[in-house]
Amino acid sequence: MIPVDSPAPSFTLNDHLGRTVSLTRFRDRRHVLLLFYPLDYTPT
Amino acid sequence: MADRYGLYLADKGITDRATVIIDAGGTVRHVSSVTPAGKRDIAELAALCEQLDAAYDGPVADPPPAPPGLPDNASLYVKDHCMFSRWALFARRNLHLEDGLPVTNVSRDPAALEHLRTVGGKPQAPALVCGSDVLYESKDIVDLMVRATQPAL
Repeated sequence: MIPVDSPAPSFTLNDHLGRTVSLTRFRDRRHVLLLFYPLDYTPT
Repeated sequence: MADRYGLYLADKGITDRATVIIDAGGTVRHVSSVTPAGKRDIAELAALCEQLDAAYDGPVADPPPAPPGLPDNASLYVKDHCMFSRWALFARRNLHLEDGLPVTNVSRDPAALEHLRTVGGKPQAPALVCGSDVLYESKDIVDLMVRATQPAL
């Protein structure tokens, strides 16, 4: 796992609505919660 | 992406069921895993988020303005055996618009199909009708639903 207190690796992905989302967009604006999961149709 | 966060389980070929919290300054403040077969404790995570938010002393922007919502007179027209109509209906459900966006199935309502021809010029579904404005392309319909209901990023 990435260590706590380390800089978060950047990413750019599409969200569930097809919009492009980059981590940098949230800098100084929002905290970010990332939920990783192994497979679709499994619990969040 | 999971690999960069150390959460890709290469031996299994899947991503771990894990949670990462990044503060607005771009620093990782929390990482945890419940294993792929496990279940997250949402109440515990919510409490942790509040705790981290309270401790954060950097800048955080005000929440974005609420989205405008669909016009009160918006109505969705669909037809049977049409993948584009199904797409529009899925979007309606996924965006929680069941109560605010009435649906008319023109395959079972000839008068509605004629109304669609009169208002929009084409007897074609799916269509999103807002007064005299009619969208016929399913992507345009879904995009409008998203813009109307989702906060800006």
